[in-house]
Amino acid sequence: MDLSKAKDTFLQEARELLQQFETLLLKAESASLDSEDLGALFRTVHTIKGSAGLFGFEAIVSFCHTVENVLAQLRSGTLSLTPELSQLLLLCRDGISRLVDDAEVSETPLVEVPEAERALQDALASVGVHEETPAKPRSIPVATMHADVDDAQRWHIRVKFGADVLRGGVDPIACLRYLSTLGTISGMQTLFPSLPALDELDPETCYIGFDFTLTSSASLAEIDGTFDFAREGSEIEIKSLTPVAVPAAAPAPDNQPEPEARHAEPVARKPGEGKFLKVEAAKLDRLINLVGELVIAGAAANVLSVNRNDNQMQEAISTISTLIEQIRDGALNMRMVPVGEIFQRFPRVVRDVAHELGKDIELRISGEETELDKSMVEKLTDPLMHIVRNALDHGIEPAAERKSSGKPTRGKIELMAYHESGSVVLEVSDDGGGIRRDKVIHKAVERGLIESGAGLTDAQVYHLLFEPGFSTAEAVTNLSGRGVGMDVVKKNIEALRGEIEIESREGQGTTMRLRLPLTLAIIDGFLVQVGPSQFVIPLDMVLECIELVTQESRYRRYIELRGEVLPYIDVRDIFDIHDAALPSYRYIVVVQYGNKRAGLVVDHLLGELQVVIKPLGKLFRGAQGISGSAILGSGEVALILDVPQLVQVACRQEKEEIEHHHERSHTEHACGK
Amino acid sequence: MNKSHHEPALQEAGQQDAQQYLTFLLGRETFAIGISGIREIIEFGGMTSVPLMPPFLRGVLNLRGAVVPVVDISVRFGREETPIGPQTCVVILEVAHEGEIQYVGVLVDSVNEVVEIAAEDIEPPPSFGSMLRPEFIQGMGKVNGQFVVLLSVDYVLSIDEMAQISHVAESSEPAHE
Repeated sequence: MDLSKAKDTFLQEARELLQQFETLLLKAESASLDSEDLGALFRTVHTIKGSAGLFGFEAIVSFCHTVENVLAQLRSGTLSLTPELSQLLLLCRDGISRLVDDAEVSETPLVEVPEAERALQDALASVGVHEETPAKPRSIPVATMHADVDDAQRWHIRVKFGADVLRGGVDPIACLRYLSTLGTISGMQTLFPSLPALDELDPETCYIGFDFTLTSSASLAEIDGTFDFAREGSEIEIKSLTPVAVPAAAPAPDNQPEPEARHAEPVARKPGEGKFLKVEAAKLDRLINLVGELVIAGAAANVLSVNRNDNQMQEAISTISTLIEQIRDGALNMRMVPVGEIFQRFPRVVRDVAHELGKDIELRISGEETELDKSMVEKLTDPLMHIVRNALDHGIEPAAERKSSGKPTRGKIELMAYHESGSVVLEVSDDGGGIRRDKVIHKAVERGLIESGAGLTDAQVYHLLFEPGFSTAEAVTNLSGRGVGMDVVKKNIEALRGEIEIESREGQGTTMRLRLPLTLAIIDGFLVQVGPSQFVIPLDMVLECIELVTQESRYRRYIELRGEVLPYIDVRDIFDIHDAALPSYRYIVVVQYGNKRAGLVVDHLLGELQVVIKPLGKLFRGAQGISGSAILGSGEVALILDVPQLVQVACRQEKEEIEHHHERSHTEHACGK
Repeated sequence: MNKSHHEPALQEAGQQDAQQYLTFLLGRETFAIGISGIREIIEFGGMTSVPLMPPFLRGVLNLRGAVVPVVDISVRFGREETPIGPQTCVVILEVAHEGEIQYVGVLVDSVNEVVEIAAEDIEPPPSFGSMLRPEFIQGMGKVNGQFVVLLSVDYVLSIDEMAQISHVAESSEPAHE
């Protein structure tokens, strides 16, 4: 039986649960957790423990068990969540995470809890919570009676595993193995009423069941949880043999669903399950490629049907085309994930690092719903982490310094994401001391990177920070300042065809802006035609379209639009498109970029459409005014205009033209003499 | 004289000492490229030119959903632009770059055939007379008693070099002399 797939699922699930666990704990720092949150907290660890048991990851089971005991007490209210405990639990989260990592890579799973985690276990015990691992005797007597920690009870368990259990990747023996860590199994009887004759036996079908007695101090929920993965198609019966009804005596099971209810809807236990489906990325890529071919094949069929003059056929094909387009959009959208996936790691990082540095720092996150291609998200985490750490370490000044410069002692870091003109922008800004220009120059001169700082613009100076081995921090700290980093960050971002901008004001803060192309992203565009070429303008930049009134002077490249001057760019001129007849009517598309406006003169307006952005690749790295391309329904490739860059090119061309004229008039003047 | 849809089959034959090459016409000259790097050959069906790019980057085309650059190697050799005619084909090549395979289309006047050229029928490039940069030539192959230039795809279609040129200026052509 191939368990590796099931194991992958376990690993992924465990990591997601740990993330949830962390989010909940961090939430606890600003608001108090209600019983639902505490229950969720308990369940995360409990689920990890349960699944780990199925795979025989003893160390995880044992460690989670300790953590779970504390969580159970939090849930029942016998213990309250102090900042210290919260910190400890966060460390435990890291401990579980380490153990999970270990389970992923090592051939033989750890049986013993390693040293570091053992220390945490001991720390948990000292918080006033006693150990309940079977290996250790209870050390501290607790006054409250508690189901989870009550004296061992006897349970009668009868399990008839479903026929498909083995095929589902669950080993019944593993369930027993896990149960034996909760207590002692006795009176075991194997049930095989439906076992067929050997020649009819299907080795992949499970025919067996067990009937036994378990003596354990674990709660009913815990015991029942053992069978979570085997529940489907199985008959599970757990009866308490200890006459005293436990739920009545214990406060814990109050907010715990009754076992019967859980049998009825086992799915309801895991939040989010059923809402998401995990799919291998490569499968999706294959699908997207196929859909791409489908779009083109569909377009070809469309052309044929038009040529045939068959109305019914045309109608049928146009319906198909619409559907194909929907499929394409849907398929592409599946690759997009919200940036929040990266952002959610930061509250913890900021909290821990700020703590370590003795700074009080608040993190604000916005735009986490901004979508980005999945493959990019993975590659952005490290660079972003680096920038945030830098901001924490070098950006935000120590509290005393902040106070003396009249700022609130609490520093602020802001993480922001948004779409801008066909790119995704991620911003990390702090309200710290800003980048000290003189310091950067001093260092750069010292390192021999530049001769002197004279004549350098701020942007050029900040750019020095990306030179390999450059660091302005005076003290090398644990976190940053070792001079490795910014150059790597820049390299990583450039590998994604993105760019970094730095904006800084001394004494007021720094903003690092990562501008990334939307690989594979979909944008709403506005299609225009200039000469024989079609261009897409990102729709969110388009304000309006007006007819171009022919100018009297060929030097006048602006119009008056409702009392304002609107400079315009003739796309024909700037892109040197002169091989098609000039139409009698031309149009100005009024675009907004940043807080500026400009007009783009085009031949025809072709309307709105949704396009998939395809990067042009490295060969076109030098392309100006073009941010990418898109494949139109006809199969043709249209270029996507990069409006801000286009304006830059226009400015440059105009400047050159003026200088050229200037020179010429000078030489003419000189010649005339 | 087949001009459309060669599949990159026949690859296993390339393992032997006689390698297979695709011959094609460019200008009035016959060139050849080893077939192992060829993905497919398509009839020229239009492309989109990208403005402000050096002339050897003729544009991009849509290859079943992928945007593929089209290079005019004639311009890259410092010769005249390849005119578009009814026989014009685009040879789609696989070029390795930074650990990834990138497709690059090469515009040719027409494709001829796939030939086998034995290693002993390949001469080293002449020191001059080909009017090509020496590193562009892998060797001179003898086909039907005639020499054809076997192109070194790695150099002719060096992504790094071409990107550099397109980055620096629109007009700077690779000088050959």
